[in-house]
Amino acid sequence: MSSLITEMVGKALKLNIPLSVHLDLTYRCNERCIHCYLDHQDHGEMTTVEIKDLLDQMADAGVFYLTISGGEIMMRRDFFEILEHARKRTFCIKLKTNGILIRKKEADRIKALGVESVQISIYSHIPEVHDAITKLPGSLADSIEAIQRLRAHGIHVIMANVLMVKNAEDYAGVRALAAELGAQFAMDPTVTPMMDGDRGILSLNVDEAALREVFRNEALVGNVEEFCAPPRGPDEAALDMLPCSAGHTACYVSPYGDVYPCVQFPLPCGNVRNTKFVDIWRDSPQFKEVRSIALRDMPSCSVCTHGATCTRCPGLAYMEGNMRGPSSQDCEKSYARTGIPSENLKKRKASSLSFDSSHLVQIQELQSTAVNFVPIGKENNALNA
Amino acid sequence: MSDKPYVARSTMIAARVLGEETMIMSATDSTLFTLDAVATVIWESADGATPLEEIVKKKVCAQYDISLEVALKDAEVLVEQLAGHGLLLLSDRPIAQPSGPPKVNP
Amino acid sequence: MPGVMAAVQRFCTVIEIGGLPIALHCDNPAFNRLLAERYAGYVANSDQAAFDFDIEIATPGSGTGDEDLSVTWNSGRWLMERGDFHAEFNPATARGRIQQTISPYSIDSVLRIVHTLLLARKGGFLMHASSAIRNGRAFLFPGISGAGKTTMARLAPPDAALLTDEISYVIPQDGRYFAVGTPFFGELARVGENLRAPIECVYLLAKGPENKIEPVAGSEAVRGLLGNILFFAQDPEFVGLVFDAALDFAGRVPVRRLTFVPDARVWELIV
Repeated sequence: MSSLITEMVGKALKLNIPLSVHLDLTYRCNERCIHCYLDHQDHGEMTTVEIKDLLDQMADAGVFYLTISGGEIMMRRDFFEILEHARKRTFCIKLKTNGILIRKKEADRIKALGVESVQISIYSHIPEVHDAITKLPGSLADSIEAIQRLRAHGIHVIMANVLMVKNAEDYAGVRALAAELGAQFAMDPTVTPMMDGDRGILSLNVDEAALREVFRNEALVGNVEEFCAPPRGPDEAALDMLPCSAGHTACYVSPYGDVYPCVQFPLPCGNVRNTKFVDIWRDSPQFKEVRSIALRDMPSCSVCTHGATCTRCPGLAYMEGNMRGPSSQDCEKSYARTGIPSENLKKRKASSLSFDSSHLVQIQELQSTAVNFVPIGKENNALNA
Repeated sequence: MSDKPYVARSTMIAARVLGEETMIMSATDSTLFTLDAVATVIWESADGATPLEEIVKKKVCAQYDISLEVALKDAEVLVEQLAGHGLLLLSDRPIAQPSGPPKVNP
Repeated sequence: MPGVMAAVQRFCTVIEIGGLPIALHCDNPAFNRLLAERYAGYVANSDQAAFDFDIEIATPGSGTGDEDLSVTWNSGRWLMERGDFHAEFNPATARGRIQQTISPYSIDSVLRIVHTLLLARKGGFLMHASSAIRNGRAFLFPGISGAGKTTMARLAPPDAALLTDEISYVIPQDGRYFAVGTPFFGELARVGENLRAPIECVYLLAKGPENKIEPVAGSEAVRGLLGNILFFAQDPEFVGLVFDAALDFAGRVPVRRLTFVPDARVWELIV
């Protein structure tokens, strides 16, 4: 359907142009979502001057799609100055924000600056559930108000819903809310590990039964028969398939100037504070390595029946320990979708030291609660003090 | 179209050269265009100060083996198409280019 | 020798109602998303289109403001005009053009008109009626605004699949008449189920102190149908086709009068 876009992406791939960049301005945030993969401290964010210079470098390198995200982008005092510079350099600008700081003035400015879309996360249509996830009372009401203001200006709004155990019952409600507000609905049943490698939050992922239900919901996946059809193993052509655009026509830059193939693929490829963006993109050995990996270079996936049809995220595979390895979260999804286990799942079941992420989480939870126990003696002393 | 049209790129666009072609997206309705090599030359020269005929004569006919009459006709079709979607501004006198993006009163 | 060329990204959504897939092409991504959302349940694959319409989105305020609809046949094309849209359709080439603002209201009206025109040639028609399928058979409840169409739809029990609360779609096949689901809704504000069933009976609606069903004599049946069939075109041939269809329909499908009290018990009579 989108043939012109496909053509342009193909061209960018051939010319080795980073068509799409996701730039996080800050990891600071006014919410504390329980499933968030970031640490919210400011470890020395890039300055306004650094960011504007980076935008210039990106424009010169051929970046067209610029997704500005974080943390919460509007916590940066220079947010609109950065946005104006992005408009001046004719990027197609997409924003990701919780919208809480978007009042009338901000909505007017976002409209005037011709932003292509604004994505706002809504975890539930029920205030108590949403606010318990963001850990900010009143946040649902504020985010909805922002959506209404943006929609009143005719701005394309995407309501993004991350599916997790805490809101598993509510995605239909969020979808209905999106329709009511005139926003696009996007749902992702993936909670990802923290950027520092901590996999604890994966316990928030819904179980296989819930995933199976979601994948059989016609309103979400379209033709269920097609979506859940058993795969045919990869043919010769499929073995040359690239996993996704990360490192090929897209990359990520952190608030500290670190360049990764993707926000979900935190392999350090260079830092724009000491190397030019285009030089990192073209010459970084890490990017070159990522670019060399096709399906045929993945030992488990190349012989797996899901090889050609899996949603395998190379970043999740990297965080699991091997960028040429499987992504177990995607194995679980393929299984929930089709009922057929992947090579990786079959190996794990067969192995006596079976890797079971849920057990790891339980151990971590026990450790953290142990820290909270105060020996009775000390408690008494505190009361007496 | 007027006798001597001037053309200027709109500021409410996303645009990037990709090889010899240009990708342009309207910031108002997100329609997406691609321009081929010749159209790209015209687009890049659309500074609001140079009449279209001069752009075609000096940039298009000089580089490509095509008569001024034919090239100008094609250019007029292109310009009307892009102006219709708000990507180009069209006028019978020079167009002042704004110094920066649209400001909203604080 | 290169030409001077700009290419625009086109989007396409195919909407299939009553087995007629119509492809709607536009270059406005927001409008395309709106179509997919509004007609969910009736969207078909893009390679299945039998008819193609190009939609040009005009800026608001560019219409004539004239509320009256005019549908005329001129030099091999149907011309459809109203304050909020201008559309053309060439049945021979199966192509058409629509100029409208980004409002879904306009495209909805154009689709109703185009389907009426296409159905006429097949002996079918659209009717102001709610319809539902129960026990594998379809029941139609025609009536003007306020007659009770939406009420009947709202009162329908869970085992009745609602096809529409506003615009019923009637197609003949092999000597029988079928009703199919449509995305055309009234006050109920939701699309009907995309299903199909042979029509068992048509119930002309009347409100009264008790539920009862009465036979309706031939000419009165035809009058009752014609009063509710959608006629747009000021074209004698088209009008003639629809008249013939209504007559044939009345000869094959029972038409009765349903007087009802507006509560769920009325559906006990619809079997």
